[in-house]
Amino acid sequence: MMDYQHQLKIQAYLDGELSGPEAKEVSDWLTGQPDAAALMTELRQTGEALTGFEEGLKLPESREFFWSKVSRGIQIQENRARADAQAAPVGWLIRFRRFLMPAAGVAVISLLALVVTRETGGGPSNPAVETSLADGGGVVYHDFSAGATFVWLSYPPDSDSSEEDDAGSLDQ
Amino acid sequence: MSEADHSSADDPTLVRAAQTGDMLAFEELVARHRDKIYARAFSMMRNEDEAVDLSQEAWVKGWQRLHQFQGESSFGTWMTRIVINLCLDQLRKHKRQRTESIEEMTEESGGVERQMPVVTINPTARLERAELRARIDRALGQLSHEHRTVLVLHEFEDLEYKEIAKVMECSIGTVMSRLFYARRKMAALLADVKNENWK
Repeated sequence: MMDYQHQLKIQAYLDGELSGPEAKEVSDWLTGQPDAAALMTELRQTGEALTGFEEGLKLPESREFFWSKVSRGIQIQENRARADAQAAPVGWLIRFRRFLMPAAGVAVISLLALVVTRETGGGPSNPAVETSLADGGGVVYHDFSAGATFVWLSYPPDSDSSEEDDAGSLDQ
Repeated sequence: MSEADHSSADDPTLVRAAQTGDMLAFEELVARHRDKIYARAFSMMRNEDEAVDLSQEAWVKGWQRLHQFQGESSFGTWMTRIVINLCLDQLRKHKRQRTESIEEMTEESGGVERQMPVVTINPTARLERAELRARIDRALGQLSHEHRTVLVLHEFEDLEYKEIAKVMECSIGTVMSRLFYARRKMAALLADVKNENWK
């Protein structure tokens, strides 16, 4: 009995998938192999039996009805495309929201730092001010003598992480 | 272009008109090729409703992508490729939803097609065309969708092994194996071979 690789070779030969030398090799081999020749005949006849099969299949709907469905589908797709195009700027805003939110947080903290600095006035009797902005998760330190201001930011805010720690400890 | 012009115009002329937004030209193209597109969808899906829906979807996609059609192949071939891709997507969805069929397990474990006795099919001598078509129809329905798809792409679409492997996202060896199995099973079914190995 032929092995599987030979069977597949016969099929590839029939389908014209072999290179010239390979095809010649299989052709020569087939001459002395009645089993192989019979298999090739079977494979070829199967292909021939399928010829023209699809020609007998007809769409089971009238031209007018089918076209009405196609044209409605086209209309729906075009309306959807128009709606997507109109919604595009909003979509852009939503996608960039995650970048805008931290930036807005930094801006708020900077503004608060500026306000605090002005209110304390600055002077030799008040060389340093430390203000904790618990809600924002930031701390401002201003050293008038050195003329320096430091702003520490934590993201997410320390208050959030401490709450999580607390919650975790409750479970234990 | 008038309605009479549409019906007498050739495909390339209608395509050019449709590319400029002429819906009547596109309607004429649909009318000319709708049976072929449906037939391909039906061969692959084996379900009339799905084949109608997918061929309709193919025409909608065809309209949307019409500007991409450059005329390297015929319009009918281009549309056929669209419906084939839609069918493949649909079959992949089906596959995700179902467990492996017995058909596939047989292929994996036994390779019964290798031991099948060779049969002779002589359709024109023994069967009327309509009867043969009905038997082919039933036989195709007994193949798994993987085997049927390979057979359809090779026999009806004339794709080479490497092209089939590409569209089905598998190796050429798998294509050869599936095609061999599909042909041998079809041969057996068309020759009314009753063999316990196939059950």
